[in-house]
Amino acid sequence: MSQTITIDPVTRLEGHGKITIYLDDKGQVENAQFHVTQVRGFERFAEGRPFYEMPSLMARICGICPVSHLIASAKACEAIMSVRIPHTAAQLRRMLNLAQMVQSHALSFFYLSSPDLLLGMESDPKTRHLFGVVAAKPELGRAGVSLRRFGQHIIELLGDKRIHPGWVIPGGVTEPLLAAKRDEILKMIPQAYADVKLALGWYKQIADSFKPEADVFANFPSLFLGLVNEDESVEFTDGALRLIDAEGAIVEDGITATRFAEAIGEAVEPYSYTKFAYYKPLGYPQGSYRVGPLARLNIAKTMGTPLADKELVEFKQLAKGPVQSSFYYHHARLVDILYGIEKIEEILTDPKILDTHVRAQAAVNRLEGAGQAEAPRGTLHHHYKVDDDGKIVWANLVIATGQNNNAMNKGILQAARHYVKNGKFTEGTLNRVEAVVRTFDPCLSCSTHAFGQMPLALTILNHDGEVVDQLIR
Amino acid sequence: MSDAVEVKTLIIDEQEVSARRGQTILEVARENDINIPTLCHLDGLGDVGACRLCLVEIKGSNKLLPACVATVYEGMEVSTNTERLRRYRRNILELLFAERNHTCAVCVSNGHCELQTMAQEQGLTHVRLPYRNPELAVDASHERFTLDHNRCILCTRCVRVCAEIEGAHIWDLMGRGEACTVISDLHEEWGKSACTRCGKCVQVCPTGALFDKSKVGSDQPKNPDFLPYLNLMREAR
Amino acid sequence: MSKLKLATVWLDGCSGCHMSFLDMDERLLELAELVDVVYSPIVDTKEFPDEVDIALVEGAVASVDDEKKIKKIRAHSKMLVAMGDCAITGNVPAMRNPIGPETILDRAYIENASAQAQIPCVVVPKLLKIVRPIHEFVKVDVYLPGCPPSADTFHTALTALVTGGPLDVSALTRFGA
Repeated sequence: MSQTITIDPVTRLEGHGKITIYLDDKGQVENAQFHVTQVRGFERFAEGRPFYEMPSLMARICGICPVSHLIASAKACEAIMSVRIPHTAAQLRRMLNLAQMVQSHALSFFYLSSPDLLLGMESDPKTRHLFGVVAAKPELGRAGVSLRRFGQHIIELLGDKRIHPGWVIPGGVTEPLLAAKRDEILKMIPQAYADVKLALGWYKQIADSFKPEADVFANFPSLFLGLVNEDESVEFTDGALRLIDAEGAIVEDGITATRFAEAIGEAVEPYSYTKFAYYKPLGYPQGSYRVGPLARLNIAKTMGTPLADKELVEFKQLAKGPVQSSFYYHHARLVDILYGIEKIEEILTDPKILDTHVRAQAAVNRLEGAGQAEAPRGTLHHHYKVDDDGKIVWANLVIATGQNNNAMNKGILQAARHYVKNGKFTEGTLNRVEAVVRTFDPCLSCSTHAFGQMPLALTILNHDGEVVDQLIR
Repeated sequence: MSDAVEVKTLIIDEQEVSARRGQTILEVARENDINIPTLCHLDGLGDVGACRLCLVEIKGSNKLLPACVATVYEGMEVSTNTERLRRYRRNILELLFAERNHTCAVCVSNGHCELQTMAQEQGLTHVRLPYRNPELAVDASHERFTLDHNRCILCTRCVRVCAEIEGAHIWDLMGRGEACTVISDLHEEWGKSACTRCGKCVQVCPTGALFDKSKVGSDQPKNPDFLPYLNLMREAR
Repeated sequence: MSKLKLATVWLDGCSGCHMSFLDMDERLLELAELVDVVYSPIVDTKEFPDEVDIALVEGAVASVDDEKKIKKIRAHSKMLVAMGDCAITGNVPAMRNPIGPETILDRAYIENASAQAQIPCVVVPKLLKIVRPIHEFVKVDVYLPGCPPSADTFHTALTALVTGGPLDVSALTRFGA
């Protein structure tokens, strides 16, 4: 008897997700799907709004990574304004972006995934959560709370509000940084280092015991996409995108925000409100790729900061060429956090960070603009078109999680096939399947907004099947 | 008793106060540090009694009077803060929020909005009426300012400041009831109207309906306090 | 003394209210001494429990799934707290109301898909015609506006609700906070 197993909701995940596992008559896994069950329609209801309201509006796509949307959106607006923002504003935004990355990764690693890693994938669900981690290993749980607070508090100091700060605007930021706030952030840095070192130390101790999981947690060759600088160091706010293949060879380089739409398209599957991004020259689904911490570390040659550089060398030893198992997203996330702390410290030591010129002013100078940045989960792209009055007439968002969608679906199928045999499964085995999705740290609220663009051919047939009219747009 | 008596005595909230003939209840209350909430009133502009937030109870009458336009009479007994009035104020605010699309979180005036502040002061935490969600436009044709009809509460401060103070009178109202809307000139785009670009309407608008294109986010606070001084200066000439 | 049972749910929101809830940082761990988080995106309970003392709900009602969920939550909760502007006013998700769900679905999945254009309909829930606050479906006991309400607001409010103390919401927060 064929059977359908439903995991609803997928917990310890941001947003609304369901998993369906389809079994054939013999009880073997035939197919598995990851459903995202929410869509709000930002790209459409943004139409008619003045473009400079976009950052504040787009921030509401997500409560974990509003800063990513603020920055990508502001960059798209700045392309419309044709301005380059002051250097200090760029550095302040870079710091804000990194602080967000630290808190978001801390949420993912400690609050959402560490229960599986510490207590066990098949441990009692009644204690398999953050509070259970704090009870079983207090220093680990508290390090997580502390790291998340580090990132959130920096955002609060810079932007006045932890979530949806109105500080990032088209043209730069609204306020310069005060010396007292800079000093407060610097005082928090030592504890942040201690917290991430504790986490890395613990993770490396337990990593070997998860080799069996690593083998089947979305472990397959794929392309990878991420931002890099010209010196091939990792980049989160500027730079250009590089696409590499499973062997590490560059497929396409220097993809700026303006060129993104030519390179990346999106497909729809009937079972999810999140679309499936793919590299257009290779078509769908062959052109699917992964983004996020794993991708970034696979693509970059260095991190650009001393401690993280050492960690990157160690990370790259996990495989010959790009690391393919999505389990190692967890490891990559911790390296990202270390880099973030180092980079924030570096930015703050420059006295120019207190400069008061932090905003460029301009009206509409171009009718189209795009901006991209690395969100914690991967590349984020905002693309707007406006009329002469500056009102949005079209908007297009490609979100990180949509770019991992194909890999997540392949991943849960791979894991389900491994863990569910002959129709047998337990709560624990289903949790393992969910844990595969957790490695990607998807942001499902974000992901239900993307769309690409294509000429649309519409053929109108009469009831005899004869072509009455044809429209190509 | 002849009307030539200049000084009136009355009671507001059980407090004896005195007033000059011709003063409104609102003026007298404010002189005596008694707070009556208002939205369409603005010092320096003529009053119209549009928003009805300043309704007060008068002893001996079952009619509520708008304090901003009702003049005092001798022996009047006014109550400004009864349970009924507090309820009505929240009702009015609920009607205002439900009428158009007020998305505070993403509005340029978030944190600097008189409607928003009023809701908080009156203890309004939710709107019991179903939101109308009308489809309303944004007029971004002006090079310096924008008008978003979604945020307009039809207080007509913009109409009054442009007519009474600037003298250009480009703003006015068109239509009645739910079709009532603020228009520029004869319902033309603001950018093409006879607007003098003085910016007074932006400064007096209590919400984010009228705003400066160069100010986005937290640098939005408006400063309508110049109005009484402007009037004084002009009268002094 | 048995701990109070706390549930948190997100409907059509951005998870910002939940993140602000977690922004209580160490105070969250202290709160966990007084309450049991019996259902939440951060714990693994799959079914909403039969008896919940306080349910915090984020997000508006935008799909048939959301509608089913909120009715179930109300039926099994002693106190229902609407947290955040989306749950209370519709907020940003309600910006699609004047336009209608078909238009946004068409734009996202037909006009702007470069492969396999179609409206998703397998397992994913149908969208309601308009996005609405939760009190249009069920009775709400406490409203905490904000986008999101700050961690301090959560801490003060939850402490009051758990201990039965007085709570003046307007002194703590407002729409768009």
